Amino acid sequence: MDEEPERAKRWEGGYERTWEVLKEDESGSLKATVEEILYQSKRKRVIESHGQVRLGMMRHLFVVIDCSRSMEDQDLKPNRLTSTLKLMEAFIDGYFDQNPISQVGIITTKNKRAEKLTDLAGNPKKHIAMLKKAVDTVCVGEPSLYNSLKLAIQTLKHMPGHTSREILIILSSLTTCDPANIYEMTKTLKSLNVRVSIIGLSAEVRVCTVLTRETGGSYHVILDESHFKELLMLHVKPPPTSSSSECSLIRMGFPQHTIGSLADQDAKPAFSMSHLDSSSGPSLGGYFCPQCHSNYTELPVECKVCGLTLVSAPHLARSFHHLFPLDAFIESPVEEHQRNGFCQACQGELKDKSIFTCPSCRSVFCVECDLFIHDSLHCCPSCIHSQTAS
Amino acid sequence: MASEDEISLLVIVVDVNPIWWGQQAQREQEFTLSKCLDAVMVMGNSHMAMSRTNKLAVIASHCQDSHFLYPSKSWKAGDDGADDASSSGDGKYELLSVANNLIAEEIRNVMSKTLNGLIHDLCCTEQVIKAAEDCALQYMNFMNVIFAAQKQNILIDACVLDSNSGLLQQACDITGGLYLKIPQQVALAQYLLWVFLPDSEQRSQLVLPPPAHVDYRAACFCHRNLIEIGYVCSVCLSIFCNFSPICTTCETAFKIQLPQMVKPKKKKLKQTT
Repeated sequence: MDEEPERAKRWEGGYERTWEVLKEDESGSLKATVEEILYQSKRKRVIESHGQVRLGMMRHLFVVIDCSRSMEDQDLKPNRLTSTLKLMEAFIDGYFDQNPISQVGIITTKNKRAEKLTDLAGNPKKHIAMLKKAVDTVCVGEPSLYNSLKLAIQTLKHMPGHTSREILIILSSLTTCDPANIYEMTKTLKSLNVRVSIIGLSAEVRVCTVLTRETGGSYHVILDESHFKELLMLHVKPPPTSSSSECSLIRMGFPQHTIGSLADQDAKPAFSMSHLDSSSGPSLGGYFCPQCHSNYTELPVECKVCGLTLVSAPHLARSFHHLFPLDAFIESPVEEHQRNGFCQACQGELKDKSIFTCPSCRSVFCVECDLFIHDSLHCCPSCIHSQTAS
Repeated sequence: MASEDEISLLVIVVDVNPIWWGQQAQREQEFTLSKCLDAVMVMGNSHMAMSRTNKLAVIASHCQDSHFLYPSKSWKAGDDGADDASSSGDGKYELLSVANNLIAEEIRNVMSKTLNGLIHDLCCTEQVIKAAEDCALQYMNFMNVIFAAQKQNILIDACVLDSNSGLLQQACDITGGLYLKIPQQVALAQYLLWVFLPDSEQRSQLVLPPPAHVDYRAACFCHRNLIEIGYVCSVCLSIFCNFSPICTTCETAFKIQLPQMVKPKKKKLKQTT
C-alpha cells in the first residue's frame, strides 16, 4: 500500500458549531460581527510574501478546460462553461499583468479527446478572442485527463530549462476516460519537471489528489463563483521554482518603436510578421527586430525570422515587485495612536479599528491604503521621501 | 459628455524646487513661480467650472516632502477661488474612495530642470536622485507607480518647462496621457487650457500635439548604456550587454552551453598504387 498523509475527512472530526461565530450585541444587531467578518476578509487578501525564495518569472502555462457534459450544469450561472470562460478572460488579463514575459496556451477536452484551442503565445488578445468564440461549443462526452496532459507535454518538453512548466486543469466531471495508465503519466510529468494544479468544480477526486501531490501543484474544489475566482487568481502570482530548474542568461532584443508618418521621406512601409495571414496592408510604424529588422506591431513577441525574444524595458520592470516585495506593515490598535490622527497617504481620518505602520519609516496608514499599497503599488509612499541625496 | 454621476478628479502637482525657481528668476524676469501658480489656478478653476461634480486637488512638491495646497481643512463647498492660497495642511480628502469609482482621472505635472515630481493615487511624490546607487530603486518605484496608475485607469500628463525627462515620457505613454515640452514659458496658461484641460473622451476629437517618440530601450546594469540586444538573467531579470558566467545582482552561476563535440570520422586511407 502506498503511504500517503491522509487528511482527516470532515465527517471524522468533531462537530463544529458554526452558529457560534455570530454574536449579537445588546440591541440585538449583528452589525459589529458583520463588520468584523468583512474586515477579516479584507485582511486575508494581503498574503505574506515568500521572502528570499527564487520565483519562476518566465512561465509556460497550459490551461486545460473541461468541456464535457457536466459543464452544462447550471449551478454556476448561467452554466458552468460560460462562467468558466468569463473567469478565464479575467485570469489571462491578470496573468499577463503580473508575468509579462510568460506564455499561455489553452486546451479543451471533451468526447474522450483533447484539442488545442490556442497555442503557447505571449499576447493576450488572441487568447481572449478564442475564449469568446468558445462559448458556443457543445459540451458532450467525457473528458480525458491523460490525453490533455499528453498534448500539453508535447509542447512543454521542448521549452528551455530555465522556464517554469505548468499545467492548470479545470475539471468539472467526476470521471475521466484514459487510454493508458495515468500513474505512468504522473511519473513522466515528474521527470519533465511539470507542475500540475487542478481546480475541481464538483467534488474531490482521488486521482487528482495524487497527480497534484506528486508533481508539486495544488488541488482545490470550489464552493461558489467567488471562491472560483479567488482560486484562479492564486495562480496568477509566480510560483517558487523547483530546485532542478536551471538559471541561464537569455538573449533578448529591445526594439525601438518607430512612428512613421506619410510626410516622412524615409518612411518605408512594411508588413507586420505577426499578421501575415490577415488581410491588413503594410503599416508605416511598428517595432523592428534589432537582429533581422522584421516588423512587429506589438510586444512581447518571439521573432519568427531569427528567433530572438523581443521585449520592452517596462515589461521587465513589471516583474520587479516580485523580486523586491514590500514588507507587511505592523498592525496595531488605533487607541495607542492618538485618536485624531490622519492617514499619511490619503489624508483621511483614521476611523478603523487598527492602523498600520511601515516598519522602516514609521508612518501610519489606514486599512484601505494598506491594501492598496500591498496589492497595486508595491512601494511605501513615505519611504520614497526619505530616499533623498545626501 | 460625462454622465451626471461621474466625478472627475484633477490633481495638479507643481514642482517648487527653490533652487531652480531662484535661478529662473534671475534668467527671465517675466516668468516666476507666482505667475506659474496663477496659470495653475486658472486651470484649476476652469476644471471646476466645467462640471458641477468635478473635483480638484493641488499639491506642491519639493525635495523632502509634498504638501496638499488644496483642499485644506477649512474648505467649504463652492468656495473655490479663495482657497487656492498656499496653506499646507492635512485635508480630509479620500482620494481612494474616488478612485474606486473607476472614473478616468487626470494628473498633471509641472516639471523643473533638476527634480521631478510625480503624483499617484496616494498623493505622494517621488524624485529622481542623481546619486547612482539610488537610481535603480527610484526607477523601480517610479515604474511601480506608473503600473498602478495604469491599472486604475488614471491618466498621467506631463507639462515640461525646461528639460526633457525620459521617465515622464514613459509614464505618459504607458498610461495614455500627453507629454508636452512648452516652447514659451510665459504662455503656460494657454498650453494648460488648450492641451490638458479636455478629458480623455474629448481628446480624440481635438487636434493635439503629436506624441513624442519614447525610447524604450533598456539600460544595461554594468555600464548604463542603452542597448538593443542584451542578456537577461532568468532569476533576477537584470540586463547585461555581454555574456558573463555569473550574474552580479543575484550571484547565480549560469550554465554555459558548450558546443557539441563531433567525433571525427575515420577517413579511409586511399590506396596509392
